[in-house]
Amino acid sequence: MEIVVSREFAAPPEMVFDAWLDPNTARRFLFATAEGEIMRCDIDPRVGGGFTIIDRRGNADAVHRGRYEVINRPHRLVFLFSPDAEGDDDWSRVSIDVSRRDGGSTLTLRHEMDERWADYEPQTRRGWTEIIEGLAAALP
Amino acid sequence: MKGTPHASGSSRSAGTLIRINPLIEIPTLCKLNYSVDNQSVAAISNQMVERLDTTFHALSDPTRRAMLARLTLGERSIGELAEPFAMSFAGASKHVKVLEQSGLVVRRKAGRQQLCQLRPEPLAEAEAWLRQWERFWTSSLDRLETLIAAEKEETP
Repeated sequence: MEIVVSREFAAPPEMVFDAWLDPNTARRFLFATAEGEIMRCDIDPRVGGGFTIIDRRGNADAVHRGRYEVINRPHRLVFLFSPDAEGDDDWSRVSIDVSRRDGGSTLTLRHEMDERWADYEPQTRRGWTEIIEGLAAALP
Repeated sequence: MKGTPHASGSSRSAGTLIRINPLIEIPTLCKLNYSVDNQSVAAISNQMVERLDTTFHALSDPTRRAMLARLTLGERSIGELAEPFAMSFAGASKHVKVLEQSGLVVRRKAGRQQLCQLRPEPLAEAEAWLRQWERFWTSSLDRLETLIAAEKEETP
């Protein structure tokens, strides 16, 4: 199954794309929460590289790990994602497509989820929607 | 944590509440869970011990305690119990299973959703077990107080 979230941006595709790979911008929206504080935002922006983003919420750290599979600036970014993984088999694929639209862009995010996690779909969709709203707020 | 869960009815002790003799020494108390060797002590059923094991195991994790706290506010879907991106789906599932195994949480199907509900009875049982120790400490403190008072009288 797939979660698909789409949004229009006034900013051009290059800006929308770069935000995901620039630690200074990413820390403002990627897995950031209103109540939390991003303690770490390490990004190695190359295929085979990855990210580690840690959001401190109360006295618990939410750790998010990623591994980049496709980096085609500015149109396609694909990474494997794992939230707070204890094991090594909790990776799911996230694909981000950015297309040009008038002066701005359209971003479409797809998160591939195993059917057995269908119960978590609403919350996960809400999470990505909030992240993408945060991205919009972080862009000029 | 907002408020503490209250038992919906009276505490079920099923006649297995231990009565602790204040004169029993600590080493014997530690053995009480696994043997009935004192006439003033009622037997603990193996069932109760198992339930205490799973209850305390369920409570021993901060993520699970947070889930229970959320459920004190009412029924929640499984998805709502897991903070998005804060834990893996497998991890969240494992936590909910442990809570179910302890009887602290029950699930029901409502349309396409699975709704979870808090069941406080195991907590009432754990509270009753803990209360006994409170009485021991109280009686110990009483004896300490008595001892100190007696000593004060003796010294001129």
